[in-house]
Amino acid sequence: MGMMGAACSDPCASAPTPDTGDTVPTDWTPAALSDDIPVASAAPGQLGPHDLAIWRSASGRIAAWADRCPHRGMRLSHGFVRGERLSCIYHGWGYGEGGQCVRIPAHPELTPPEAIRVPVFSVAEASGVIWVAEEAPDGPPPEFPGVVAFRSLQVSAAPEALAAALGGTGTVIETVLGGAQVVALIQPLRGGAAGLHLLAPEGSDPAALDALSAEVEALRRRVEAAEEMTA
Amino acid sequence: MSEGGAMRDQWYPVGMTKQLTAQGRDTMLMGEPIRVALAGGAPSVTDGTGRALPVIDRFGHVWTSLGQPEKDLFTIPEVDQPGRRLVDVGVCRVRCSPLRAVENFLDIAHFPFVHTDILGSEPHTEVARYEVEIRDDVDEVWATKVKFFQPQAAKSAEGGITTDYMYRVCAPTCSVLYKTCPPKPGEWDVIALFVQPLTETLCDVWPYMALYDDDAEMTDLIHFQQMIFVQDRSVLENQLPALLPLDPGREIPTRADMTSIAYRRWLKRHGFTYGAQLVAA
Repeated sequence: MGMMGAACSDPCASAPTPDTGDTVPTDWTPAALSDDIPVASAAPGQLGPHDLAIWRSASGRIAAWADRCPHRGMRLSHGFVRGERLSCIYHGWGYGEGGQCVRIPAHPELTPPEAIRVPVFSVAEASGVIWVAEEAPDGPPPEFPGVVAFRSLQVSAAPEALAAALGGTGTVIETVLGGAQVVALIQPLRGGAAGLHLLAPEGSDPAALDALSAEVEALRRRVEAAEEMTA
Repeated sequence: MSEGGAMRDQWYPVGMTKQLTAQGRDTMLMGEPIRVALAGGAPSVTDGTGRALPVIDRFGHVWTSLGQPEKDLFTIPEVDQPGRRLVDVGVCRVRCSPLRAVENFLDIAHFPFVHTDILGSEPHTEVARYEVEIRDDVDEVWATKVKFFQPQAAKSAEGGITTDYMYRVCAPTCSVLYKTCPPKPGEWDVIALFVQPLTETLCDVWPYMALYDDDAEMTDLIHFQQMIFVQDRSVLENQLPALLPLDPGREIPTRADMTSIAYRRWLKRHGFTYGAQLVAA
């Protein structure tokens, strides 16, 4: 597991053109939308078999850590953010840069040993999407010009079935949905489910976004119904 | 060996005596279906095959065992002192190991974060050194000289006080705590946690209190304690792994966790491993 987080929240100036109907060329996995993790908050996420605590510091720094406090196993995604630290909700143990424990409230005078450290994953933001990886990938995650992050849905169907319903294969699909040119990012989830992170055209008006929402929810119902039939 | 090991021969709470009916109530004990009923005016417990299980009626609760208990159920002498109000709080179902539920009950360091502004508050987070021992004569874990600052230690407490505590683990899924009693200095309020292991990762928690509190309404006392347990539940249902790790290495304790360390050691010594995780040797 990568202990060093390669935080790259800098929207890169030269955005690579995405391949259509293909997987992401690097090892990044989309895990959430940037807007869904506001400043000074934490939320649960997934990467393969790993549970993640995805959180954003007061200064806006994004991080993805193992979702487990080393003290008593409490999920860190239930924790609270103060400044640049994520603290466990159970006993308030505070963790900073690199997942290092920096504060144990029951022993305020104690400097926590270096061994008390939460495993850290690589994380980067691009096009309003939070991408995660176990090892630091070679390059940044893809940028998608002309679209912005719109919304995420969880679908109780296999990623392949979701991709097929969107008229493509792989995990990055450019398609037309509800009359809009969209980018759909598919995240494999445990239990045969999939995350769908949808990017909509920049400057879409509210009515167009409402139509897109209705269309994608209908698509989810269709995919889940088909999945139930085959199950 | 049957499911549950040494824990099969221990006593467990399975219902409140005053709620029994002739028709009975179906529940579970360590993965097995049981029925708790009133038969001829006395509590009775039967297993899935209709076999009668041993029964004790004590502390307002019905106790039973799937195995053959060698010892009587523990006693709490303080509950018989005159002037105490006995409060059956009712039941709180928690999706966690019964052993994790007890361990959480033994923990004070979480008060400022889980029971914020009630049982604890920042910056009063320090846990002073206290004493823990496994008392061989009674075979119980005891923690004494525990002190913690509490903004509202009990329903009867006005403002913050430093509260003294003693903790006692008297059965694998039962603990009794003694704490400073604001209306009656020199005496201890008694709060017990009786945990019914439904499965290794699901339990019914039956809190029980014997308090010197003349003023509060019974429903307020019950509501106060229920609020505390609902706050605990949000933690207990989100610990990984769900089973309590008995071997060192998987979790990192500090001096504040001395009671928890002794509890885990005591469980392991007795082979009380239902709801526990042991690393394969």
